[in-house]
Amino acid sequence: MEIICTITGIINTHHPKQGITDLINAGFSNLLLDFSRFCPPEELENIGISSKKSHAVTAPIISQTPEKLGEVVAPLLTHYQSCHLQTPVAQAPYLRANTRQVNLTSLLLSLYKESIHICGQAGCQFLIIPPLFSGIDKRDRWKINKDFYLRLLPTAKEDHVTILLENQCGDINGHLTRGVCSDPQEAAFWVDELNREAGEERFGFCMDVGICNLCGQNIQEFVLTLGNRIKAVVLRDCDGHKESSWLPFTYSGFERCGTDWLGLIRGLRKIGFDGELILDFSTTATAFSPFLRPQLLNLAKATGEYFRWQIGIENLLKTYKSRVLFGAGNMCRNYMKCYGEAYPPLFTCDNNAKLWGTSFCGLEIKAPQCLRELPTDCAIFICNVYYREIEQQLRDMGIGNPIEFFSDEFMPSFYFDRLERRE
Amino acid sequence: MHPIGVQTKNVVNDTHPEEGFALLGRTGFSCADFSLNGYLLNTSLYEEKVNAFFDKSTGELEKFFTPHRQGAIAAGITISQMHMPYPNYVPRGSRELNAYLRNVVAPKSLAVCAFFDCPYLVVHGFKLAYFMGSEEEEWKETEKFLDFLAPMAKEMGITLCIENLYEGLGNHLVEGPCCRAEKAVERIDRMNDKYQAQVLGFCFDTGHANLVGLDFESFLMTLGHRLKVLHIHDNDGVADLHQIPFTFTQTRENLPSTDWEGFLRGLQSIGYQGALSFETAPVLTAFPQEMKAEALSFIARIGHYFASQLLPGAQAEHRR
Repeated sequence: MEIICTITGIINTHHPKQGITDLINAGFSNLLLDFSRFCPPEELENIGISSKKSHAVTAPIISQTPEKLGEVVAPLLTHYQSCHLQTPVAQAPYLRANTRQVNLTSLLLSLYKESIHICGQAGCQFLIIPPLFSGIDKRDRWKINKDFYLRLLPTAKEDHVTILLENQCGDINGHLTRGVCSDPQEAAFWVDELNREAGEERFGFCMDVGICNLCGQNIQEFVLTLGNRIKAVVLRDCDGHKESSWLPFTYSGFERCGTDWLGLIRGLRKIGFDGELILDFSTTATAFSPFLRPQLLNLAKATGEYFRWQIGIENLLKTYKSRVLFGAGNMCRNYMKCYGEAYPPLFTCDNNAKLWGTSFCGLEIKAPQCLRELPTDCAIFICNVYYREIEQQLRDMGIGNPIEFFSDEFMPSFYFDRLERRE
Repeated sequence: MHPIGVQTKNVVNDTHPEEGFALLGRTGFSCADFSLNGYLLNTSLYEEKVNAFFDKSTGELEKFFTPHRQGAIAAGITISQMHMPYPNYVPRGSRELNAYLRNVVAPKSLAVCAFFDCPYLVVHGFKLAYFMGSEEEEWKETEKFLDFLAPMAKEMGITLCIENLYEGLGNHLVEGPCCRAEKAVERIDRMNDKYQAQVLGFCFDTGHANLVGLDFESFLMTLGHRLKVLHIHDNDGVADLHQIPFTFTQTRENLPSTDWEGFLRGLQSIGYQGALSFETAPVLTAFPQEMKAEALSFIARIGHYFASQLLPGAQAEHRR
């Protein structure tokens, strides 16, 4: 599971060095190859009129010369390669949800074929190509898109690129609603049919959490319905009403996240997701001063790592043949409810001496000193929010076993009540 | 033509219910959605405050509602649908509260519904996905509740109608129970097969659908004949405002931001013949009391417009 960072608001494609350095310093090693930076939705909306600023007037206008896409992308790719940055996923140019353009199929086809070629050359495995929607009657969507994607298939095969369809918003006079491929059943059908036609897995799905959020969707159901067709997930936050790409967890109201991260993590854990996580916080990045951007990127990287850890927490449990818990409170109780059967701990321990020798949720509670007697490959999972403090305590005790953190923030299910705090 | 209805809340009172029904008749309605939920408010239930209204025996409830029934008959208003109090289960509520909601409030709601000769009783599904872990597990609990009511409903000739609901994530309203039409179809058909009667149907709520960006037309076409009743109202896509259709716009072009055309296409496609019922009670507190009749007339007028658009051929290719 790689964490891939988008570049809007971070890298100026004409002066990329500082942005690239900031990203590397924050620990990012994978970036989105974003072709829409070279042919943005605004340009497609105003075909023939360049949206580029004065310093770039000599650059080709890609909507007029799609064959030159590779030429304009090449310098940035060279920078990436010289810094050992990878681009596992690319984003093809796309139209706005409220586009007035209804007849760009031919241009898009050229752009996308060119994008596939560049991906092939750059070793980019996945290319997100959104489905066609503008000017298409709902009843004809599948037929037209099927034909469209199959026309891209030979190029994709030749360049060993997997095309990812992506969920889209519709636009009812300014109200963003569920658009093409936002119904996961429809999307799953499309991917399966295209792969059947391809005779191999040449199509997959990129799930944009921002779109799900704008459509108020049950994100867990969305993930479970699409299952392993999901090859990439775009992690971004918004207010649920207007298009934006904020850093995850930055939209909240009434002291609670307004985005269904619980549903996302529940779903991705359940399907054993091991695809790509695309972190899109371009709106946030654009808003921050360049002075603060390095610190923002550190937070963004930590956020991406947090998602990777939460999604993969069950895989982490599987990693160890045996395990014990540290903590005998609600988190331990939640562990036992959701994972106790599949990954049974040998026992739990607690700093509260009054609890030693008693049992909790079927586990014996022991003193921390007992951890010294563990086999060396047995992992200690800390089930208490004072993670770092307890980890330090155990290290100070000279315990050399693997120490892992458990979290019950995003559990597969929850108790209806919470236990009273023990003294 | 389709009957045109509206909630009785904010129109029909308990002191002189006949006046409220007469007002509905005068303002262009032929049916009403009886707001039984007004007698046990959700806001109170979430605070574990239960009034004694449903402690009345069935006979006492019938006696209480006799003036309402007579008032409706006198005004020529049929009670085309009724709303059961909700929630039917309070997740962190006491065992006693939830037992009372199940064993007392729900069966007595059915009895009141039958007393009004009302064929449809709208029931909210349980909101338990957070605790239970998935919509599927949540539905199992709702289904147990419906299974408890279904034999009574069958005997009384009432169809329980599940409704598309939303959940709150902070101040963001997102998809809640019964927002997947395909699942609703399977569940309704399975239950009706089981009881060999129309014990379960669907209530499509336009406002809730708008909040979570549902495709009205596709949803309605998937439901087909299982659609029994409607809650028609409008909002800004952000809050559950229960306002008059066509109220909200979001662009300079000032075109409606709710998909009323898709709504009409969907209803027409499935040949919906039921009531066009508005759930717009907040409108009547927002407008001055002196304008209540005009506000109701306007709502009814929109209902008649909708009905005219549902006539065969009226809007077959209406700006698809």
